[in-house]
Amino acid sequence: MTPAVEVPVERNYLDAETGIKSWLLTLDHKRIGLLYVASVTVLFFIGGFFALLMRLQLLEPYGWLVGPQIYNKLFTMHGIIMVWFFLIPSIPNTLGNFFIPMMIGAKDVAFPKLNLLSWYIFNLAAFVALYSMIRGGVDTGWTFYTPFSTGFSTTYVSTAALGVFISGFSSILTGLNFIVTIHRMRAPGLTWFRLPLFIWSHYATSIILVLATPVLAITLLMVMVERIFRVGIYDPALGGDPVLFQHMFWFYSHPAVYIMVLPAMAVISELVPTFSRKPLFGYKFVAFASIAIAAIGFLVWGHHMFVAGQSMYSALAFSFLSYLVAVPSAIKVFNWSATMYKGSISWDTPMLYAIGFIGLFTVGGMTGLFLAALGIDVHVTDTYFVIAHFHYIMVGGTVMGYLGGMHYFWPKITGKLYWEPLAKLSALIVFLGFNLTFFPQFILGYMGMPRRYAAYAPEFHMLNVLSTAGASILGVGYVLPLLYLTWSWRYGKPAGPNPWRATGLEWQTPSPPPRENFEETPVVTRGPYDFGGLREELRLG
Amino acid sequence: MAQPAVSRKTYAYTFGGLLALTALTTLLGFIDMGPMNVVVAVGIAAVKASLIAAFFMHALYEGKLVRVALAGGVIWFLILVSLTITDYIGRRWS
Amino acid sequence: MADPTALLLREQYNNPVQQRESSTFGMWIFIMTEVMLFGGLFLAFTVYRMKFPESFIVGSGDMSITLGAINTAVLIGSSFTMALAVFSAETGNRRMLSIFLLATMFLGLVFLGIKFTEYYQHYQEHRAPGIWFDYRGPNPGQVEMFFLLYFLMTGLHAVHMFVGEGILTAMLIRNRAGSFSAEYHTPVELTGLYWHFVDIIWVFLFAIFYVEGLHLHKL
Repeated sequence: MTPAVEVPVERNYLDAETGIKSWLLTLDHKRIGLLYVASVTVLFFIGGFFALLMRLQLLEPYGWLVGPQIYNKLFTMHGIIMVWFFLIPSIPNTLGNFFIPMMIGAKDVAFPKLNLLSWYIFNLAAFVALYSMIRGGVDTGWTFYTPFSTGFSTTYVSTAALGVFISGFSSILTGLNFIVTIHRMRAPGLTWFRLPLFIWSHYATSIILVLATPVLAITLLMVMVERIFRVGIYDPALGGDPVLFQHMFWFYSHPAVYIMVLPAMAVISELVPTFSRKPLFGYKFVAFASIAIAAIGFLVWGHHMFVAGQSMYSALAFSFLSYLVAVPSAIKVFNWSATMYKGSISWDTPMLYAIGFIGLFTVGGMTGLFLAALGIDVHVTDTYFVIAHFHYIMVGGTVMGYLGGMHYFWPKITGKLYWEPLAKLSALIVFLGFNLTFFPQFILGYMGMPRRYAAYAPEFHMLNVLSTAGASILGVGYVLPLLYLTWSWRYGKPAGPNPWRATGLEWQTPSPPPRENFEETPVVTRGPYDFGGLREELRLG
Repeated sequence: MAQPAVSRKTYAYTFGGLLALTALTTLLGFIDMGPMNVVVAVGIAAVKASLIAAFFMHALYEGKLVRVALAGGVIWFLILVSLTITDYIGRRWS
Repeated sequence: MADPTALLLREQYNNPVQQRESSTFGMWIFIMTEVMLFGGLFLAFTVYRMKFPESFIVGSGDMSITLGAINTAVLIGSSFTMALAVFSAETGNRRMLSIFLLATMFLGLVFLGIKFTEYYQHYQEHRAPGIWFDYRGPNPGQVEMFFLLYFLMTGLHAVHMFVGEGILTAMLIRNRAGSFSAEYHTPVELTGLYWHFVDIIWVFLFAIFYVEGLHLHKL
């Protein structure tokens, strides 16, 4: 491998071409990644705005801001935007797009045109979903449960479902592109067990994307058909079965949780070795744990339906399988911790997010075990306990991973360093704000406060005020990185090719990278996270 | 230039086999076999599908990767159907 | 698009073999997603077939086996001509490639013509679901479910046929522009994979919708 020398590159991917057209018609995976960053950032703040309104409403027991009709629309649109237009694409389509080809030493993804097409489809989908919102919103909850969504709701269900349906094509194209890229485009010498775990995790994610998304597409298509033609596929009045909808919906939507969290695990598996200066403990276990999560994740969807009238025997089987999926997740947590053990840990901002992720993901995962237990699940179904649980996974897991990855890769993406003290402070703010927002919700849920209500009993007042206070802190923690990262792009100090002294191929090329990523196709001669080898090279170079 | 993956003769045999199986399934359909009718019909359809995949789509001549993708699609479809159907069967018991 | 040498190797690939294998593998993964897309509908069919066995056989008895069997033969024939088109492409015979692509398109259109004739007959017999449905026998809701799934599944299949016709047209145009040769014909192969897959779906649709109720037919 060529040593990491600083070559002054005049034509990096950002300067190679200029003008708005060069961005909108780009086939460069790095630019498409940045286009996705722009899209999901906008959508994240739209979704966050709905959350803010919900938390404001819940400051008072009987609500004060909006009526129950509007509140129903708020939580629905919050869910739809955040799940399909932020969490699903958040890490794979931004950092994944940018770094998968770089980490495997390729010039681009296998199908660059499909990659760009996928971004346009995504924006069209987001536009349709936002249009349904502007026309008056949807009130079914993000899950579109039948028969309410097909037979009763008078809101713009079909339009919103169409938006999600279209976004599915974007997911499928991205997953397909990644699978083929990882199989076919690896640099010479880069065998499967020399791949960074970022790649393994994204590979597992892509498998879920291509296998699960089509089922969601057909499920929502049938909801639309049922509404538009007034026929009864799921409608019990016409002999249909609403539980069938739940089976099909959760066949996608449970694996979708792993679409959200596996890429975050991908990021963490890069951060922990780099900032502990140690190879990842039990590399093969972590690699196969990703595949195991993807595979077992398809067998557990019934735990969303324990109280939906499914058979007792199925519930038992699904409960057992749900415990099983905790095993590979736990393997990962143990191996990250073991990597840090006796490592020389540096407390840079990305590492703060990584440690935050490990803690919060563990809490989210452990409460997931509570929910997989049939008896406890009946007690806390549809309460704030469930809300807190999945926000610990999705916000505490995915969003922390996304922010950690953004901070880690930012010097490579832009070639600039952000202001570290402010970044550390905002990581702390995010962590504190998050816990203050969602920890009280565990208690609220256990005490019996149901989800999706615009009002609540007065005895829950205190904890709800705490939660809203936490949400406002969390909001600050999310706006700060937006500001200082943007600022650093223009005014930050130059980063150099490898500011973190990391080992991957992506750090062997200048920052920002040239259009074709590498001056010549790299040849890989060693495994990932080989810090000893890197030290040698830096010394010789 | 490599030889074509599959010869015209093989294509013709496959075509003939598919037509014969279509005729067979139609004829068998006229016999009332109770619940076996659907089993026979879907079974013959599966044979036809395998013929198309193996010869027309060259699955038989492709590498391991393509076969894994094909098997993956079929297995995941079976997961979807079997785990859902067990729920419906289980509900009759309780 | 017009320059055939530009199509030989795109910049992200190192060699033509890598490019060809990537495209073929990508198409197979796409087919995997199609299996899951139709899989959802086949699941719905299985569930309701188990719930309403009698009504579904009654519904199947209303199908025209003559048209259905002819259509199956037509579609299998189109797969045969498609396979021969791929063969012609592999041997670099551009004239035969055009002829077989046209034959495939023609048979595909015959299939769609017969399919829409059937749809029209069902509509006239008040078997189209929704406001058009009218059935005087027992359990009309269950029979309507059969026809709803029938229209959904064969309809989605027909949509795929239309897309296939569009792709075949594009292949025909590119072949006439001289884009394909014995060395480079991957798009034709991918078109073939798609077309055969759509054929496979029909084979199953024929089995579950037409064959099941055959023994109720009065000969």
